[in-house]
Amino acid sequence: MLSTILLSPAVSTATQKMGFFEMIAPPEDISVHGNKIDWLFNYTTSMNVFFFVLVCIGLFGFSYLYHKKRHPKALYTYGNTKTQIAVATGIGIAVFFGIDLNITRISNNDYVEVFTNWPKADEDVVKVEVMAQQWAWNFRYAGKDGLFNTEDDVTTLNDLRVPAGKKVVFQMISKDVIHSLYFPNARRKVDAIPGRLTRMWYELTKPGIYDIACAEMCGTYHYRMAAKLTVYTQEEYDRWVEQSQNLAMQTNDPERPDAFWGWPWQ
Amino acid sequence: MAFYEQHIHPKPTNFLSKYIISYDHKVIGKQFLWYGIFFLFVGGLMALMIRWTLAYPGEAFPIIGSFLFPETGGAVPPDTYAMLFTMHGTIMIFYAITPILIGAFGNFCIPLMIGARDMAFPLLNMLSFHVAVLSAVILMGSLFTPLGAAAGGWTSYPTLSTLIGSPGMGQTLWTLAIFILGVSSTMGAVNYITTIITLRAPGMGYFDMPLTIWGLGLTAVLNAIFLPVLGAGCLLLIFDRVFGTTFFLAGAAATSGTGDPVLFQHVFWIFGHPEVYILILPAWGIVSDLLSFFARKPAFGAKATALSMTTITILSTLVYGHHMFTTQMSPLLTQTFMTLTMTISIPSAIFFANWLGTIWKGSIRFTSPMLFSLGVVFVFGLGGLTGLYLGTVTTDLFLHDTYFVVGHFHYTMAASVLLGGLGAVYFWMPKMFGTIMNEWWAKVHFWITMVGLNIVFMGMLLIGYAGMHRRIFNPFVYEFTQKLIPLNELTTWGAIIMGFAQIIFVINFVHAVFFKKEKASDNPWEVGTLEWTIPSPAPHYNFDKIPVVKCGPHEFGNPNLTGDRDFQYQTEELA
Repeated sequence: MLSTILLSPAVSTATQKMGFFEMIAPPEDISVHGNKIDWLFNYTTSMNVFFFVLVCIGLFGFSYLYHKKRHPKALYTYGNTKTQIAVATGIGIAVFFGIDLNITRISNNDYVEVFTNWPKADEDVVKVEVMAQQWAWNFRYAGKDGLFNTEDDVTTLNDLRVPAGKKVVFQMISKDVIHSLYFPNARRKVDAIPGRLTRMWYELTKPGIYDIACAEMCGTYHYRMAAKLTVYTQEEYDRWVEQSQNLAMQTNDPERPDAFWGWPWQ
Repeated sequence: MAFYEQHIHPKPTNFLSKYIISYDHKVIGKQFLWYGIFFLFVGGLMALMIRWTLAYPGEAFPIIGSFLFPETGGAVPPDTYAMLFTMHGTIMIFYAITPILIGAFGNFCIPLMIGARDMAFPLLNMLSFHVAVLSAVILMGSLFTPLGAAAGGWTSYPTLSTLIGSPGMGQTLWTLAIFILGVSSTMGAVNYITTIITLRAPGMGYFDMPLTIWGLGLTAVLNAIFLPVLGAGCLLLIFDRVFGTTFFLAGAAATSGTGDPVLFQHVFWIFGHPEVYILILPAWGIVSDLLSFFARKPAFGAKATALSMTTITILSTLVYGHHMFTTQMSPLLTQTFMTLTMTISIPSAIFFANWLGTIWKGSIRFTSPMLFSLGVVFVFGLGGLTGLYLGTVTTDLFLHDTYFVVGHFHYTMAASVLLGGLGAVYFWMPKMFGTIMNEWWAKVHFWITMVGLNIVFMGMLLIGYAGMHRRIFNPFVYEFTQKLIPLNELTTWGAIIMGFAQIIFVINFVHAVFFKKEKASDNPWEVGTLEWTIPSPAPHYNFDKIPVVKCGPHEFGNPNLTGDRDFQYQTEELA
């Protein structure tokens, strides 16, 4: 059965040359803070491996040592001597302080200091409004006037372009059902919910073209609710903004009510 | 300690009163067992179709595909795929695991293990099964409605589960079925709690109960408290769908007034997180007992295990918010739920240590129930530890709604509960049906299942870590998932191995129930709890005289044993 898997035609493409660890590596991290998430993941993994190895040593070791052939008479104990209670409690406390409180503290610090540490109002950031719908992503940039939901806004469909090296702030909402804006390469996702604004910010580092997906089940074509993320250098981005703002001035039709799905930035 | 006189039911005389409208808790337990095994098959088949689609999207499902999906030549279409994973989750949780662990073993074990003649409310018990059947009929019927069954995931988040996202009749019927099943389970839970409180045999204190009863009792408490919450949520959802209310509609989706879709998530997960423990607590209890029975040694720290399970029961009600980190709750709530979630690991680690303490210096008999129990220790270790990544908010921002979550909850809920349930079937088989299942095939079944399920669920964890998200019909439309094709294929083959291994079980089970001539002895496993003091299979009145309990359930190798056995029946006084 295993040979079928290894020899099946789908595998005999380029992926076959890929090593196992390369295959299961998460997508390339292109954000400034994604490494915090990766680091915590790896830290938790090392702790987990340590404790799971202990469990396995107990499980398999005891199973071997105390097989009834090797150990015909069981020890009579209720596990209520002082030492035994101390050991069991010790394990509980060791796990709690060793792993849990540690990772909670680290995660909490990252959460407070980075992920919910919103850029200040006067900071120079790229602002994007996102409206999710079945099954597409609408993005909106304030046009030349710097205000959202006005005639000169730049809107794109399934096409998000941001500069590297600058904070990007998103406000998002959904038109119909709950979606979730998922950037695998930035390790981030936030739900887009009808009737309430949700927010996210990140800063990217590496120019290129990446995937955006919807992570929350949103109907039959959920799997195809994909968009492309283009990360530009600052100069490329400025050029693109200039061009698309001009294009928007010429082509936006102020008579179309459905062009104004945005909202004043909040 | 029994509060009142227990009468002996008249012996059933005809087929109808014996097998269909029986008040006997053992028959109701068996009814739930067959019901659960049937749905385990249905849900398992759906799982194979899901896995097949993930590995070979657009290719015909082997053998039965062309019969089920003739219009696509046998391949699963995307909308059917959404129905499949919705129904797979629903069926496995509510119609397979719940009936087997809680319905079958709850009914069968509670009166027998506490020395009662029946449940406190036999009629309610019978109705609970019949209502469950009604619910199952509605759920299966929804598969045949014009727009198909519910397709919004087993969590059925609005507004996808309102008319905005699923206009068909299927979603309404799904919600109704879950509501009715909630009624059935609540009836069962009330019954279990009352029975455990009022019908324990004279002399049986709470700590003299086997840990199985602790697990089942705590589950019943959670069920009685939280199923009504789910019921309320379902009812509001039905109102939104049928009567045009807007509890969960907002934004452009709401034509008048406005509600909040996130409200449903709160209601759902207040129930949904305890539900995880509702499913796992009976398995924990059973495993704690079986480890002691087959290590021929008292359960290590039995009191601590019971109290840890109680602590977890309480804590499980306070942590549900970790399912909703990505909805951007207030940071204070997020931090609170994260910290509370982490405290669950203290009691978990303690009873985990107790499990290992139980087999430490034991004299282990590797029977099939013991193998399954040790298997639970292994897979639950993996399941519990992978939960840590999802409890911390920052890693959850990446892993939420990926296959990592799927792998994690399959390890905790599917793997642990399935192995625990199968161990329980092998163990109580003699008392239920009077025969013992073939041990050799049981062990073969165990090892193949174990290999298969670890390939599947470990595969899911790895795929999820690599970023692949859940509930997608064709994962390979994205560039970042292209490289995961081989791993998805491997995972699928693991599922196929695991699925086919269950044929061994079914043949073994059916053979033992219907065809095996050789009768099991009254106490084949040499265990001292009350159900083993009576003949196999248990007579319809259980105990001709209500037993008087004189010692604990795990007196193995006690120096004060009175017989020449290495265990003491709970009805016998220690010297």
